[in-house]
Amino acid sequence: MNLLPLILYAAAGVAYAMHFARRQPAIGRAATTLLLFGALAHTFVIGMQTMEVRFNPVASPSRAVSTFVWLLTLSYLYLELTTDERAMGVFILPVIIALQVIAVVFPGMANSDPVLNSGWFWIHVSSLLFAYASFALAGALGLTYMLQFKEIKKKHLGYFYTRLPSLQILDVMNWRAVTVGWLFLTIGVVVGVVWTAQARAVSPNDPNLQAMSLNDPKILGAIVTWAVYSFAMFARQMLGWTGRRAAWLSALGFAIILLNFLPVNYFVTTSHTFQ
Amino acid sequence: MRQQDVHLFLLGVSHRTAPVDLRERLDFSSGDLGAAVEALAARRAAAEGVVLSTCNRSEIYLAGEDSARARQDVIEFLAGFHQVPEHVFLPHIFTLEDAAAAQHLFRVAAGLDSLVVGEPQILGQVKEAFQTASQRRCAGPLLTKLFHWSFAVGKRVRTETALGEGAVSISFAAVALARKIFGRLAGRRVLVIGAGEISTLTAQHLRSNGVGDIAITSRTAGHAQSLAEAVGGRAVDWADRMTALASADIVLTATGSQRPILTREQVERARKRGDPLFIIDVAVPRDVEPSVGDIEQVFLYNVDDLQSVVEENISRRATEIARAEAIVAEEVARYTAWQRSRAAVPTIVALRQRFDAIRRSELQRLDGKLTALPPEARARVDEVTRLIVEKLLIEPTEQLKALSDEETQVAYTEALNRLFRLREDEATAEENESAKTIRES
Repeated sequence: MNLLPLILYAAAGVAYAMHFARRQPAIGRAATTLLLFGALAHTFVIGMQTMEVRFNPVASPSRAVSTFVWLLTLSYLYLELTTDERAMGVFILPVIIALQVIAVVFPGMANSDPVLNSGWFWIHVSSLLFAYASFALAGALGLTYMLQFKEIKKKHLGYFYTRLPSLQILDVMNWRAVTVGWLFLTIGVVVGVVWTAQARAVSPNDPNLQAMSLNDPKILGAIVTWAVYSFAMFARQMLGWTGRRAAWLSALGFAIILLNFLPVNYFVTTSHTFQ
Repeated sequence: MRQQDVHLFLLGVSHRTAPVDLRERLDFSSGDLGAAVEALAARRAAAEGVVLSTCNRSEIYLAGEDSARARQDVIEFLAGFHQVPEHVFLPHIFTLEDAAAAQHLFRVAAGLDSLVVGEPQILGQVKEAFQTASQRRCAGPLLTKLFHWSFAVGKRVRTETALGEGAVSISFAAVALARKIFGRLAGRRVLVIGAGEISTLTAQHLRSNGVGDIAITSRTAGHAQSLAEAVGGRAVDWADRMTALASADIVLTATGSQRPILTREQVERARKRGDPLFIIDVAVPRDVEPSVGDIEQVFLYNVDDLQSVVEENISRRATEIARAEAIVAEEVARYTAWQRSRAAVPTIVALRQRFDAIRRSELQRLDGKLTALPPEARARVDEVTRLIVEKLLIEPTEQLKALSDEETQVAYTEALNRLFRLREDEATAEENESAKTIRES
């Protein structure tokens, strides 16, 4: 089911790369169109799955990854359509494609733990996924900022200089993405804490709920992520860490998220591994 | 007049064929281009004419039936209009016809024939030349089509290749860099320290890119004042330059000082916030300590850095020439195909008229029988016969327009003319009449 969006994303990825290399407007429009169709197909797939399991598109690792990809695609499309800058696509699409491959290769099982059947849980997971999608964009923006910054600073105006948007635009977009991401990360974490407390009261014998503490690598990861981005926000406002430093922080933050999101999700059994 | 007899003719001088003093003597751009076009049209050398004149070229495009006459006429026109004896410029002119002339115009519009390959002004100049002629009704159907085609070629080359990309002068390179750092320059603050030729030019380019505020300071207050008036900025006291530096986004330095006027320490003290600062140091010897460039968020470019950016851009443009030439070749091929399909038009028109005449005469013959029918049925008969004729003609029309080479087209047109007696229609009709008369007598 996740295959059709993947094929469309892959085709869009090829088109974005070609557009980046050759800069022909027609290829760029084709890339955006393919991505739009990919997002549309993905919306359909997620909608179908949600109806099939009656509730939740995020309650298994693969579905969470797939939903994350979907949110990232939509956020990227929003960014592209509002700024009219296509050059970022070539940096975002590899993330989209790679994660969607994971969702396709490990389809996973839908789980039916009744504990998860709660609106709080839904808000918790989707806020975090949306926050991660924003941070993914911020990370890609930060990476491109650094590439471009280096070329201008070293006075070697080369490949990226001619293709990327201006430093100012990259910086402002990065700042917005980090702010939005931080906001949703905070909501996600707070809701998670509140929901755990509530669920503990409802099902006192659930082993997962009892095990939720900072010893859980997933929870620890989330706290570290929150700390990194909070620092990024603080440093920009108070220490004047804009530009390259902000870019570097957002790239670092996203690296931590990927580490937290993938290996921990798939290979480490934590209190977040519901059966 | 049959349309296929109209030829395109071009006569001109350019930086490739003529030295600058001759080009200046034959230049139309400094004077009244409109008057030149009118004077040319008044000679009736050809039905259509456009004069394209820039500092690097003076070219006259004509569309008419007689190229040899057009050539002689244009030469006389040039000599008369500019008061330059023919023998002075004859060795330096070039002439081109039909597809070659079209190719030349396409290359010019694309910036391929320019002194600085890919420079952007030429397309505007080509448009202006055409508009001048068009407003005076000197550009007819062929030149209108040709020039509009050339605008499209120019645009295609600009969007599909990097031929026009990268600034090729120091002041443009500086502005391009500023745009890469700050995005839109609207509202940005500029500080100019010291007045010089490059800094004046750069300040003017920045102004036309919409920067908000230009502060100018100089050791000699009078210099600052006059430069401020020239670029629409404000003069600032030399003593207040560090205050101005604190709020500036772009700094241009061009003093004659022998020692650096901006040190790392000074810049660090003035810049508390982490906003980017772009310093363009065009002074020789340099005005800004090189270590200023090590400060985070400070981009320091001196005149040599900008020069090497310019050189890189020029060499990068050179690699795009082949791609641009390929686009021009493609468009010339399409243009000549269009020309040929246009040559088929008279035959097609004659063929249609012939078929329709047959249809009408048959309807007329049947008129007596048709009067019995109700009016709607008669209208239907008319409609049906018309549709039959049109359907019969669709395929031959398309085929004739699409023929790939001129020889085949001539052969086909000739065959059609004979098979349907298109051209000698009237002549044969008369012959038949006279033959009839003779027989009857």
